[in-house]
Amino acid sequence: MRAYLSAFRMRRKMELQYRGAVLGGVICQVFFGLILVAIYRAMYTGKPQEIPLSHITSYVWLQQAFFRMLLASDPELTDKIRTGSIAYDLCRPLDLYGFYYVRIMAQKMTGSLLRAVPMLVFAFLLPEGWGLMLPASAAGFAWSVAGLFLGLLCVCALENITMGFTMRTLDARGMQALLNLLMMILAGNILPLTLFPDSWQRVITLLPYAQLLDAPIRLYTGDTPPSSAPGILLIQGIWVLLLTGVGILFWRANQKRLEIQGG
Amino acid sequence: MSYICVRDLEKRFVIREKRKKGALLREKKTVRALQEVSFDVDQGELLGYIGPNGAGKSTTVKILSGILTPDGGEVTVGGRVPWQERKEHVRQIGVVFGQRTQLWWDVPIRDSYDLLKDIYRISPEDYRTRLAELTEALQLGDLMRTPLRQLSLGQRMRAELCGSLLHRPELLFLDEPTIGLDAVSKLGLREFLQWENKQQGTTILLTTHDMEDIVALCPRVMVLGHGQKLFDGSLAALLGRYDTIRTVTVSYEEAEAAPELPSGIPVSREGKNLTITYSPDEYATAEMIARLQAAGTVRELTVQPQNIDRLVAAMYREMDL
Repeated sequence: MRAYLSAFRMRRKMELQYRGAVLGGVICQVFFGLILVAIYRAMYTGKPQEIPLSHITSYVWLQQAFFRMLLASDPELTDKIRTGSIAYDLCRPLDLYGFYYVRIMAQKMTGSLLRAVPMLVFAFLLPEGWGLMLPASAAGFAWSVAGLFLGLLCVCALENITMGFTMRTLDARGMQALLNLLMMILAGNILPLTLFPDSWQRVITLLPYAQLLDAPIRLYTGDTPPSSAPGILLIQGIWVLLLTGVGILFWRANQKRLEIQGG
Repeated sequence: MSYICVRDLEKRFVIREKRKKGALLREKKTVRALQEVSFDVDQGELLGYIGPNGAGKSTTVKILSGILTPDGGEVTVGGRVPWQERKEHVRQIGVVFGQRTQLWWDVPIRDSYDLLKDIYRISPEDYRTRLAELTEALQLGDLMRTPLRQLSLGQRMRAELCGSLLHRPELLFLDEPTIGLDAVSKLGLREFLQWENKQQGTTILLTTHDMEDIVALCPRVMVLGHGQKLFDGSLAALLGRYDTIRTVTVSYEEAEAAPELPSGIPVSREGKNLTITYSPDEYATAEMIARLQAAGTVRELTVQPQNIDRLVAAMYREMDL
């Protein structure tokens, strides 16, 4: 266990070195956030919707703040697989899936927290109707933090499945492009899932991608009342177990047929 | 039973060929990377493993280190089957792949070592003594706080070695450790490996293309070609069979010195310098030198055996590799 913790700390330390990238990321995400908020404001002026505008702007800001959690595959790990340096990791008395999982988690968690904190402060300071609202309730906030953590576990498991595909194809780009597109749409990054037609939402919210950010954000804004939070967390938990299980089996199968090519 | 025991090892790779015109599917070709390879290694041995590129050396190392599963044969290392008891096995081994890196690129090497300490569950006291010992032997003292990316190739190899030896492995695999290193680094590295082998009793299996590595380090050498074991024994015994040419260069005080040599020996003259080549099987070197000395006042005389790389090349040619 200690080894995994240690690997987590190491990856976190590495992530902390790229402060310039954090600044760049924050500026980029703030820019996107402002544009999206402006678009929704324009649409609401034309035709007010049932969902309050402040919920939508909060949704946008929370999505942008935790963007790094979704769309950031660790190039170091895919490079290891591509170049064969994974051979070294195979020579460690560790479970390979777990070893990669903690590193992905460290990267996503550190990377997104570093960006989220300044961005959320910024979004709070924006005027009413532009920025981030306070959580609907204290209970809702607590549930949404728990939900965010489950979402993190979920996205790490998804990422590790992508890694499993990389082991087969030796190039992460194809699979990543496909899965990232799915993720962006189905996680609510492009259009908040709350704005999808209700009949669609019933299906989409059950898919794994909705568990990453959409579920915790709804708990935050109060779209999902705290009373139904346990049910939401249960769905998240089921997906975490399912995706992790699939990932572990996939990796085990890969490890059996692995070839490290070239000298 | 010996420490490493390999019996009839087989490994096949399936290679898909380029699709032929008009064919629907690509044809598959099976390459036998290892064929019935058997050998034993005792604890504390320093074994050289040579063969041309693609002979199956790395494949053997990967199987012995538990990364690859063979298609046939038996292997035990210290009584364990590497690919079946992977975790227990890898705890006892260290590996250095000369062309890859195990340390973290962007962080000081000391941090990478700290992580390895936790991975191998090295006790803090042991870690401290071992790290101090390796730091001194590998001269890493000034580099501990330097990120790996800033190290030169020679420094990096030393840092990699340190990382592979922290947990005091019983067995160390070195895959081309001197590749791309300068003369000083190479000599230092060889000295260190000898020290580690003697001090710790670490069994070392070294694959390399640098014959000087083998000459300096390995009393025993194994030759692999086309996936088969072709030779297993001392380097001298191996090269003796191909060591067929001696070159003697002599420079005289007098320009007109003309030694009497048996006919058929090529002589080339350049001013006062004379170079002859002959086979040590046909003529004794002592006799040749006596003849050269009889012809005039010798200022300098050098006897050169054939270049070792040429010997190995001749051997590979004869073995049809």
